[in-house]
Amino acid sequence: MASLSLKGIQKIYPNGYHAVTDFNLEVEDKEFIIFVGPSGCGKSTTLRMIAGLEDISEGEFLIDGVKMNDVEPKDRDIAMVFQNYALYPHMTVYENMAFALTLRKVPKDEIDRKVREAAKILDLEKLLDRKPKALSGGQRQRVAMGRAIVRSPKVFLMDEPLSNLDAKLRVQMRTEISKLHETLGTTIIYVTHDQTEAMTLGTRIVVMKDGIVQQINTPEHLYNKPCNLFVAGFIGSPQMNFIDAVVGRDGDNVTLTVGENVLTVPEDEKQILLDGDYVGKTVVLGIRPENISDKEDFLANNQDHIIKSKIKVREMLGAEIFLYFDVNGVQMTARVEPDSPLMTGDEATFALDMRKIHLFDKETEKNLLYGE
Amino acid sequence: MNQNELAAKQKRTRQIVTIIVLIIVFIMFVIPFLLVLINVFKIKGDITSDPLALIGEHGFTLQNFPDAMEKMDFWNVFKNSAIITFCATVLTILFSAMASFVIVRNQNWKACALLFALMIASMVIPFQVLMVPLVSVYGGIFGILNSRITLILMHTGFSVSMATFMFHGAIHSNIPLELEEAALIDGCSRWQTFWKIVFPLLKPTVATVAIIDAMAFWNDYLLPSLVLGDKNLYTIPIATQAFYGTYSTDIGLVMAALLLAMLPILILYLFLQKHIVAGVTAGAVKG
Repeated sequence: MASLSLKGIQKIYPNGYHAVTDFNLEVEDKEFIIFVGPSGCGKSTTLRMIAGLEDISEGEFLIDGVKMNDVEPKDRDIAMVFQNYALYPHMTVYENMAFALTLRKVPKDEIDRKVREAAKILDLEKLLDRKPKALSGGQRQRVAMGRAIVRSPKVFLMDEPLSNLDAKLRVQMRTEISKLHETLGTTIIYVTHDQTEAMTLGTRIVVMKDGIVQQINTPEHLYNKPCNLFVAGFIGSPQMNFIDAVVGRDGDNVTLTVGENVLTVPEDEKQILLDGDYVGKTVVLGIRPENISDKEDFLANNQDHIIKSKIKVREMLGAEIFLYFDVNGVQMTARVEPDSPLMTGDEATFALDMRKIHLFDKETEKNLLYGE
Repeated sequence: MNQNELAAKQKRTRQIVTIIVLIIVFIMFVIPFLLVLINVFKIKGDITSDPLALIGEHGFTLQNFPDAMEKMDFWNVFKNSAIITFCATVLTILFSAMASFVIVRNQNWKACALLFALMIASMVIPFQVLMVPLVSVYGGIFGILNSRITLILMHTGFSVSMATFMFHGAIHSNIPLELEEAALIDGCSRWQTFWKIVFPLLKPTVATVAIIDAMAFWNDYLLPSLVLGDKNLYTIPIATQAFYGTYSTDIGLVMAALLLAMLPILILYLFLQKHIVAGVTAGAVKG
């Protein structure tokens, strides 16, 4: 296992397009790092630079302190799991898993032992003689994992390995990958555009947009303290509600006016707004759906943080209900308890948990409370 | 008659017409082969008197085969044809598969694009245009006519463009780049990636190119007749000329020679047929 270091990594294509800009990351041994972001954000390109499949235009990439920029993929001691598995169609499962070891001229009995060990971990023992075309999507995925495991590499790279699976299998394999990380104690770098995968698997998440790293931190930190509007919107499902609010003063209090609703800002946030000279200006108020409540006791205790609207759509999900409503022309979502009496068309009163709000600068989109 | 019955009747009529047309075309293609099969077991007189009779007046005979084999020096010309066809086919497959791999995977490299464009352009130049300069250059300047190797290289040169075109399509549409990347990470060099991963996956195209080129090389008359002057180096198609005399032709021997010439390639086709269909349709639909 190994530690990785990416210093000022850039990827610039011959046509001048900057796919990745100034990427800096230190990966500790046994970490599970997730690269997450929308399509075209540069996450796969960064992974491919780590694998050696793309040249690094600028910057340094080191494994265990050794510079790897110009080292061939085969000599980096890494294994990669591809989005479409990339299993060799003309080889059996056994041959697929043994291929890398055969190339390295590992003795046959050792190859056999390693392949069977990996097959046991991944429950592939009965499929070793089959060709990939005779396997289901989940089985192919496991073979791709097995091919990586048998090599005992320093680093595992996974490029959206679950995106070709159906929803149920994806959840199942997500758990399998998590277990595998625990069992093998390997350093894993995992690319996904699915924020749920990122949140559930990663020890740290790297959020990227347009080739630039937005924030690197633990899932909890990213969820609770996103550094900007993009991270706040990308992490969390349903996504955080964003609405423009005008900062005002009401005696000693600082208020946020959203349409006809006036919300009193708590003390800590109040000071930040005053220090930043935001009074009279418009900021973006962010609040997660679970921090909007229709419970009577909560409403009673938060009379200064009330918003009123008409329910447009009600989605019952069993364990929770999503309520969609408009405030000042912007659609908002509330995640409420399944016993909520509110129905589509009802006039509803909600209270915001102001301790959980986020305030973003409208120009820079930085989080005024947790900007990094 | 309601609309449904009318549509059914029209459909049936279309099917009948299609079947009739197909039968006519089938007969047109099969008749020459049948004529060879019928007449090869007759003596010359029987063939001349009634070429369509299943068995001649003098009965069934196998004598045409040993006579033809002796007269055309069959085993020698068969050996020549086999060596030339085998070597030229193998070389064509190797060179074109490797060339197309480089061309497909280096599409941004202008030299590759130019090379491929030249290859495609060369496919439209008729052989007859090149034949005289070819013989005068190789024969007159280099003096390397009358050699199997020369013919093998010429066959390879003339067929490699078409084969490259076919392999190009197969690699482009059927071999995902990720397979090669997986092989590189697993420890393959570029050379190993080609031989261990890409080439085995080109099996249907290899079969298609093999049968098309082997048939062309085996049956070719014009190029061997220009290159090979020495009787010892004759291929089967040139050797069959021995039966065409100035004043008379022993048609029974010609039939036997033709059947002997046809059989090996027919057997090869039957072996590779399954792959050829796959090769021709490769990439047409998502797998």
